[in-house]
Amino acid sequence: MTARASWWRGDLSTRRRLAISCFALAVFVGAWWIVTGPLALASPLFLPSPQEVAGTLVRMSVEPYLGSTLWGHIGASLSVVMSGWLLAGLVGLPLGIAMAWWRRLRWIVFPVFQLLRPVPPLAWIPLAIVWLGLGDAARISVVFIAALVPWLMNSMQAVYSVDALLVHAARTLGASERQILVRVVARTALPTLVAGARIALGNAWTTLIAAELLAASSGLGYIALNAARTLETGVLLVAMGIIGLLGALFSVGMRQAARALAPWSVRSGDE
Amino acid sequence: MNSAASHGPRRVAPALLYGTLTLAALLCAWMLATSALGLVDARVLPSPAGVLARAATLIATPFSGATLAGHALASLHRWIIGVACAIAIGIPVGVLLAWLPPVRAAVAPLFELLRFIPPFAWVPIAVLWFGASTTTQALVVFIAAFPACVINAQLGVSQVDPILPRAAKALGAGSLATLLRVVMPVAAPSAFTGVRIAVSNGWMALVGAELIVGKQGLGFLISQGQNNDSVATIFVGIIAIGVLGALIDVVLQRAQARMLPWTPPVAEGL
Repeated sequence: MTARASWWRGDLSTRRRLAISCFALAVFVGAWWIVTGPLALASPLFLPSPQEVAGTLVRMSVEPYLGSTLWGHIGASLSVVMSGWLLAGLVGLPLGIAMAWWRRLRWIVFPVFQLLRPVPPLAWIPLAIVWLGLGDAARISVVFIAALVPWLMNSMQAVYSVDALLVHAARTLGASERQILVRVVARTALPTLVAGARIALGNAWTTLIAAELLAASSGLGYIALNAARTLETGVLLVAMGIIGLLGALFSVGMRQAARALAPWSVRSGDE
Repeated sequence: MNSAASHGPRRVAPALLYGTLTLAALLCAWMLATSALGLVDARVLPSPAGVLARAATLIATPFSGATLAGHALASLHRWIIGVACAIAIGIPVGVLLAWLPPVRAAVAPLFELLRFIPPFAWVPIAVLWFGASTTTQALVVFIAAFPACVINAQLGVSQVDPILPRAAKALGAGSLATLLRVVMPVAAPSAFTGVRIAVSNGWMALVGAELIVGKQGLGFLISQGQNNDSVATIFVGIIAIGVLGALIDVVLQRAQARMLPWTPPVAEGL
């Protein structure tokens, strides 16, 4: 989880590393092609060939599959994950900051979170289905639960991480309250906040996929499960690939956001 | 908040008091809403007593093929297989990746690509490949647990001060001895943190996998509760999952403190 910063630290030059990476990926795709194509070691039911998966991807982006095109399903998944994530932010961010500021509130709310934290968000899915039915509400609420904890914990941590000494120093040097808030508190807290938002989005996405595997009428998880039932392995692999790609895009996007918002400490924001 | 940090011991008592009161108030509200006043239908939200009674029934008599203990054991069994494989393969792989940059360059992009596919997204294809079996569930646990092991072992090794292996070499240690006696002890706390993350990721993924497919296990118990419209069963399942997950983490924390006493203390923040 915390390895990104040092993951690429190595003794190779960028060009050599890229060359090795491309070569390794080419070997992977090549091996996949040989196993499924010329050698026919794996039946297409178990593992379709790369070109078949690519063909499926193209077909799905034009023709409707299970009610809508691939774009429609992506849109359905995205709208649920964004609603749940934003709602969780609207609740978790202020609550976390308030909990760090007023210890009585923390003493009241924190035990409840400690109690609920060991329960995986997925375990709430059946309860959400019984209570809220099979619609978007059930999925949004489960995504909300999954995203709330990182939002809340990191915003609380963010306020804690502001060193009182810095605030005192700024005050001694004649900074106004406004300046302290904007130039000292916000700057120290922002990386942790953005990291919380990123973790929350990752959790939200993972949980949504599980929820869609269980109860949905559109979305990428729904396609994946149906494709498995109808033995359309190509469709299944396309859905998995898009799920992974979007998850990676979220992560990269949030990192870029962290870099843009808080360029002074991208590393500490990774913790 | 600033003054609170300086006197620790005095803080604990009110925090505990507030916590206990909050939880007691919640329990009271729950009892009032369900059994005492009957504001909520027991089929929507069972009373605490109802949940306890359901738990007792589930412990004593089999439901959907097994008692509560049976389902828990089935879950633990798959979880241990998946997590053990993830640790046994993941930590050496992580060490190798940190130790050999070219291997890292070759494996990293593929690893990064696959890492972002949530473990549950593998459930349908795992079912296609292995059927609805223990292998499928254990595979999903493995997929969930593996990255944390690799990443943290890798991180631990790459954070070792390069002066240490050089000093060991200067004192006559071979490559393997340096890795095992100098680098690994320094990297071990980070690797163990990876194991803890892996273990909880694996537990979470297992619940998801059991919800989607399976004939036994705590996740399956919850989904059966959903199918039978028995919210009390769902509650019992959720509590069992939460309690076991918390217990596992406590055991690992203790193990870390005992086995790796040189682990740097983690700032708890509270």
